[in-house]
Amino acid sequence: MLQDKAEKNPEIIGFACSYCTFKASEMAGSLRMKYPEGVKLIQVPCSSRVDPAFVIKAIFEGADGVFVAGCHPGDCHFIKGNYFTRRKIAALKEMFDAFSMKDKLRLFWVSAAEARRFIDKVTTMYNEIKERKNVREKN
Amino acid sequence: MKTGIFICHCGHNIKHTVNVKKLSEYFKKYPNVTVSQDYVFVCSEPGQDMIRESIEKKGLDRVIIASCTPSLHGEMFKDVLKKSNLNPFLLRRVSIREHCSWVGDDVEKNTEKAKRLILAGLYSAAHYVPLEEKRVDVTRSALIIGGGVSGLSAAAFLSKMGMQVYLVEKEPELGGHVRTLKNIWPAGKDGKSIIDEMIEELTGRENVEIFTSTTISGFEGFFGNYEVTLDTPEGEKKLTAGGVIIAIGFSPFDPRIKPELQYGKDDRIITTLEFEHNADTLQLPEKPRVAILHCVGSRDEQIGKPYCSRVCCINALRVGEAMKDKYKDSYVESFYMDVRAHPRGGEEYFEDTQEKGVLFTRANVAEINLSPTGIVIRGEDTLFGETFEREFDLVVLSIGMSPPVDNKLIASLLKITLDKDKFFMEAHIKLRPFDTAVKGIFIAGSCSGPKDVEESINHGRASAVKLFGFLNLGYAYVDPFISYVDPKRCSGCRMCEQACVAKAIKYDEEKRVVHVEEAACMGCGLCNATCPSSAISLKGYIDCMIDDEIGALLEAI
Ligand SMILES: Cc1cc2nc3c(=O)[nH]c(=O)nc-3n(C[C@H](O)[C@H](O)[C@H](O)COP(=O)(O)OP(=O)(O)OC[C@H]3O[C@@H](n4cnc5c(N)ncnc54)[C@H](O)[C@@H]3O)c2cc1C
Ligand code: SF4
Ligand code: SF4
Ligand code: SF4
Repeated sequence: MLQDKAEKNPEIIGFACSYCTFKASEMAGSLRMKYPEGVKLIQVPCSSRVDPAFVIKAIFEGADGVFVAGCHPGDCHFIKGNYFTRRKIAALKEMFDAFSMKDKLRLFWVSAAEARRFIDKVTTMYNEIKERKNVREKN
Repeated sequence: MKTGIFICHCGHNIKHTVNVKKLSEYFKKYPNVTVSQDYVFVCSEPGQDMIRESIEKKGLDRVIIASCTPSLHGEMFKDVLKKSNLNPFLLRRVSIREHCSWVGDDVEKNTEKAKRLILAGLYSAAHYVPLEEKRVDVTRSALIIGGGVSGLSAAAFLSKMGMQVYLVEKEPELGGHVRTLKNIWPAGKDGKSIIDEMIEELTGRENVEIFTSTTISGFEGFFGNYEVTLDTPEGEKKLTAGGVIIAIGFSPFDPRIKPELQYGKDDRIITTLEFEHNADTLQLPEKPRVAILHCVGSRDEQIGKPYCSRVCCINALRVGEAMKDKYKDSYVESFYMDVRAHPRGGEEYFEDTQEKGVLFTRANVAEINLSPTGIVIRGEDTLFGETFEREFDLVVLSIGMSPPVDNKLIASLLKITLDKDKFFMEAHIKLRPFDTAVKGIFIAGSCSGPKDVEESINHGRASAVKLFGFLNLGYAYVDPFISYVDPKRCSGCRMCEQACVAKAIKYDEEKRVVHVEEAACMGCGLCNATCPSSAISLKGYIDCMIDDEIGALLEAI
C-alpha cells in the first residue's frame, strides 16, 4: 500500500550569482534544456550576498534543499566574494551536519558558459534529495 | 500600494507551456494588485503602451513584468516607466520564459512554478523604493588589447571621435594575422597593404598611443576608471582607461594535435597558412598532384572543436585556384564534408574554382601515409560509399581558427567569461554581441569566435561605437545598487569594513559607526551578509526582499 502513495517532489531554492550561475541558467533556458520545476532561483548580485540566515530561513519555510552558486574561485566579478561564500557555507555545513541535514545544503561553482553543468548540478541535487525524501516518507 | 502585473505570452514561447490566462486571473484577487493582465507581446509597441496607460490611468506605483529573463529588454522597460513618470526602479522583472516555460514541458507544473515566481516578485517589489541612478565620472579613454584588424578598426573610430586610445600589441608589429596573408579574399589585396592603410589612419593622431611588444600585467578598478598596468619593453607603465576592447584574435589550429595527419613529419604536408607564406617557393613537379583537406581542426567533436571556422572553405578554394592558375595540368582534389562558402560571393567563387578544374570529393579521410614517391591518402568517398587510395605530391591542410593563446590569462585578469569553445563570451549572442557581462568591457574580432576580415573589422567598429556611447559625456550612470548604513543599528564592530574588498566602508572614530563611500562601493552585498546587527543593507537586495522571495517561492506566505 505504502508504495502506491503519491511521489513527493522536493522544493529546492537556489541562490544564483548574476554574473555566472544566473547567466548559465538563462543560457540553459535559451537552449531549452530541461530541469525539474521544483528548482527555483533567487538572483543575487554575488554569491557573497547570501546571508547564512537566508539558507536557514529557506529550510524553515519548507525547502528540501538549498544551493548557493557562484563563479569559480578566482573568477569572482567582485574579486573575492566567492571565497567568503566558501568559508561561510563550509561553516554552515558543519552546523547542518550536527543536525544530520548536511545533504540539504550545497555549494556549486558554475560559470556563465556552463549551462550544461548548471543542469547537471541542479538535476543531480534534485534527484538525490527526491530519493531520500521518498524513502523517508515510506518508512 | 497599486501594483500592475503584466504577463507576457511571448507569442507561443510562454503561452505554449504556461497557462497565462489562469495566472492573470489568479493575481487579480490580491488586494495590492490593481491590474493583472496577460498580453501577446508585452515588449511590442502596443504592449508598452498598455503598461504606460495603466500606470497613468490607474496610478500604479509598482510594475511587475513576467516575461523573458531580466537581462533582456531591461533598459526598454525601464524607459516605459520613466516616460510615465514612475521611478524605473519600481519595476520588477520575473523570468517565466528562460526559467520556466522553456525548461519544463508540463503545463500544470509550469503554471504553478510561474505563479510562485511572480508571487516572489510581488512580495519583493512591495519593499522597493525609488532609487536614483548613480552618476560616475568616467575617463574618456579606451584600452584596446590586440592590434589586428579588429583592434585597429576600433582604434581608428575612437581616435577619430577624439577619444584617447591606448593600443596594446603583444608582437613587435601591428597587424595580426592579416599582415602575413598574401592575398586577402575577396579583396585580392596583400594583407600588409590593408594593415598599412589602417595604421596610416592612426599615425599623427595625438590621442593615440601605441605600445608594441607589450602585454597587460595588471587590471583593477571599475567601469569608467579601470587601472591598467602594462608590461612594456621600457618597463612597467600605469594608465587609466574608461573602457576596454579585447581584440586578441585567434590562434591557427596546430595539426600536430591530430597525429594521423602526419603533419610536421614531412615537408610535403603543409597548412593553408604556410601555403600563403611559401606558395612561390614550393618545390613541385610539372604536373603536381595536390590534395586539400577541409575542416582540419574544426567540426571535430573528438578534439573539442565542434564549431565551423568559417574561413577555411574559402582558404581551401584559394589554394585550389592558385594551383590551377600556376600549373594548368595539375591534379587538384579537395576533400570536404560540405563546402561552406559563407561570405558574400563565396558560392560563385566555389563554382569558378570547379570550372577551373579543381575536383571536389566528399570524403572521410582515414589515413595519411608517407611514401618515397608521394603522400598516400586513404579514405572513404561518402557520396559513392567507396573507399579510395590516391597519391599526391603536396597535401594542404585547411586549418581552422582556435581560441587565442592568451584567452585564459586575459579572462582571469579582466574577470570575464570564456564560452564552451574557449573564445570570449558575449553578453547575449543576438542582442548584445559586442558586450561582455562586465560594463565597459567589449570584445571585437575573432577572439569571440571565428570571423573573416570583413566581420572582424565590423565587430571592432561596432564595439568602438558602443564604448564611445558609454564614455563620450565624461560621466555615465550606473546601477544604484550600493550599500548604505543605518547608524542607529550600527554597533561599530567594523566587521563589514574588514570584509569589504573595495575598501568602500569607512569608520567614523567620533560617532563610532561606519558609512559607505558610494563611489567606491561595487554592490556585491558581502557587507550586508556579514553584519551581525543587520545595520548595513544593499539597495535592491535588502534582507526583507530576499526573505519574502524565499517565503513566496515556498508558498509559506
Ligand atoms: C590561413 C588563413 C587565411 C585567411 N584568409 C583570409 C582571407 O582571405 N580573407 C578573410 O577575410 N579572412 C581570412 N582569414 C581570417 C583572418 O585572418 C581573420 O579574420 C583576422 O585575422 C581576424 O583579425 P583579428 O584582429 O580578430 O585577429 P588577429 O589577426 O589574430 O589579431 C590579433 C592581434 O592581437 C595580438 N595579441 C594576441 N594576444 C595578445 C595579448 N595578450 N596582448 C596584446 N596583444 C595580443 C596578436 O599579436 C595580434 O596582433 C584567414 C585566416 C587564416 C588562418
Ligand atoms: S569553413 Fe569549411 S573547412 Fe572551415 S570548418 Fe567550416 S565547413 Fe570546415
Ligand atoms: S558590520 Fe554592521 S554593525 Fe558592524 S560596523 Fe559594519 S554596519 Fe556597523
Ligand atoms: S556592497 Fe560590497 S563593495 Fe559595497 S560596501 Fe558592501 S562589501 Fe563593500
